Amino acid sequence: MFGRSLWVFHANSGGCNGCDIEVLNVLTPYYDAERFGIKLVGSPRHADVMLCQGPAMRSTAKALQRAYEAMPAPKLVFAIGSCACGGGLWFDSYTVLGPVEKLIPVNFYIPGCPPRPEAILYGVAVALGLVDKKTAPVRFKQLELPIPRYHPGDLRGQDEMVVYEKLEKV
Amino acid sequence: MSLFWTLLGGLVNVATVLLVAPFFEGVLRKVTARIQSRQGPPLRQPYFDLLKLLGKEDIESGETPLMQRFAVYLSLASVLTVACLIPMGFPAPMNGAGDAILLIYLLTLAGVCTLLAGLAAGSTYSLLGISREMMAMIALEPLFAVAIVIGAVKTGSFRLDTVLHGSVYGAGFPLSGLLMLVVMVLSFQAFVQRVPFDTAEAETEIMEGALIEYSGPKLALFKYAQMAKLVLYSGLFVTLFVPWGNRLAFPFGWLVFWTKVFGLVLLVTLVAATHARYRIDQALRYFAGLLGVALVALVLASYGY
Amino acid sequence: MTLPYPAQAQPVPERFRGRPIFDAAKCIGCAGCANNCPAREILVYDVCQEIRILKYLGRRCTYCGRCADVCPEKAITMSHEFENATDSIGDLQQSIELFMSTCQRCGRCFKEPSPLEQLKLKGYRLDDLGNERWVYRSKAYLDEEAAADDVRIELDE
Repeated sequence: MFGRSLWVFHANSGGCNGCDIEVLNVLTPYYDAERFGIKLVGSPRHADVMLCQGPAMRSTAKALQRAYEAMPAPKLVFAIGSCACGGGLWFDSYTVLGPVEKLIPVNFYIPGCPPRPEAILYGVAVALGLVDKKTAPVRFKQLELPIPRYHPGDLRGQDEMVVYEKLEKV
Repeated sequence: MSLFWTLLGGLVNVATVLLVAPFFEGVLRKVTARIQSRQGPPLRQPYFDLLKLLGKEDIESGETPLMQRFAVYLSLASVLTVACLIPMGFPAPMNGAGDAILLIYLLTLAGVCTLLAGLAAGSTYSLLGISREMMAMIALEPLFAVAIVIGAVKTGSFRLDTVLHGSVYGAGFPLSGLLMLVVMVLSFQAFVQRVPFDTAEAETEIMEGALIEYSGPKLALFKYAQMAKLVLYSGLFVTLFVPWGNRLAFPFGWLVFWTKVFGLVLLVTLVAATHARYRIDQALRYFAGLLGVALVALVLASYGY
Repeated sequence: MTLPYPAQAQPVPERFRGRPIFDAAKCIGCAGCANNCPAREILVYDVCQEIRILKYLGRRCTYCGRCADVCPEKAITMSHEFENATDSIGDLQQSIELFMSTCQRCGRCFKEPSPLEQLKLKGYRLDDLGNERWVYRSKAYLDEEAAADDVRIELDE
């Protein structure tokens, strides 16, 4: 039943309101989240999902933690926007403590600045297990180096007679 | 034997109200969504909501958890007792147990339960919500009481089966009946707590009013009580003012009754979706005007008009 | 008037800036993107004189596109992907390990001929990959200790 009816509580702990507007857009008739059973409620005690925006700030840290504890289990927390996911553009400012996960455990991340309303709906669908996520870490490693790498500790001898001990140290 | 019929009738009434109330709420949300040019939730959405709420953790918070529990159970219980007192296509099961005064008191009790719920929570928002609800109730319950009293004056008895069958029209020229019909139609939205007049619950829709500290199963019961109130008030309106066809043989009378209630719910939805909310002082002035007209109707009824 | 969103995807505008995609084949390791990222999301780590690791962490990226603007080889494209929701924030990382040619005389640095070249990272830099922190200091040359596994680095507090 959790998947058919999600009641959402919207908690902005100090963001710039860009993501707020996108969340509000999701609830308008154009993107219409209510057809999935998502309803905005005013009290954290009624809610299943907390949508967090804005980074964790020194001034609202306690309030955010209390709102999280007021939610009845089972509960989910979505971090919306780059500020909530990783601290945002102002991660080194004087009031910002960091991403929201420093204060409360986050279940899903929806990055973007601000994320499009479709991206937020997609994130909710990933959380409910309706679609698969589309991101995975990418790592490129150059395996064949054109010339061998010289580490100072592997060179023997001095001046003219310098011998490189290990040829394949990568 | 009559005990058996009473129990069976009561069971049928209560079960029908419980099954049908979330469906009507679903219809209300769907039609509101269509009026706002969007697809709404599926019609069975309130059933999913209630089932989900029943599965959540029950956090007992607020000042007095005992009163919290008491308020919820009393609310649902009084609403379901009213269900046994309304003739829904067949004579009311608890006909002999009470009269129309009991009906008025039970409905007021359902409103007082919201007061208890808000007091149990003790937060500023809930106290604000219940103060507005009480102000509205002070202005509204007399309207309903006057409607029933007009019916009693015209038919000469307070018995439920005589009062609740279009008694407001009575014999002779039904001027007061028509006047009362107009007054009730104009104030019906307030009884069921929908948009032009829902300052109590959804006004602090940002903060949810009296229900702010409820979670999980208790919230489910409260929401159920609110949905059932919509159905019951519509049922009372139908039996008081539009009763023709309710006394047919069993299946037909029952179907006619529920069809009329459905029509009334659609009317409530249309008004709710196209209007803005009144402030509490505007609403009170409106009700005061309607109360004046209702008292005039009562005076006319006592003179036989 | 509701968009049938999950059923049909809506086309995005042409110059929409979604997730940046780093093309390792074109990257020359100049680290101009790292130098100019306003959110300090691209970390640079020089394992030794010849190997440089560039790591893009997607957490704080604001999709501004400055990295794509600066890149001289157009190796970074702001794609049209916006459906980046995930339950583990490490899913958005892209890391590139590259071989860097060395200057014959001094190793890495050279005089920049143009302002674009001057935007690039000079010298060696050792960001803290383990704790995913950006370190605000570049070094003109690599110490012997810096090339081993236990890296001693200075942190700007």
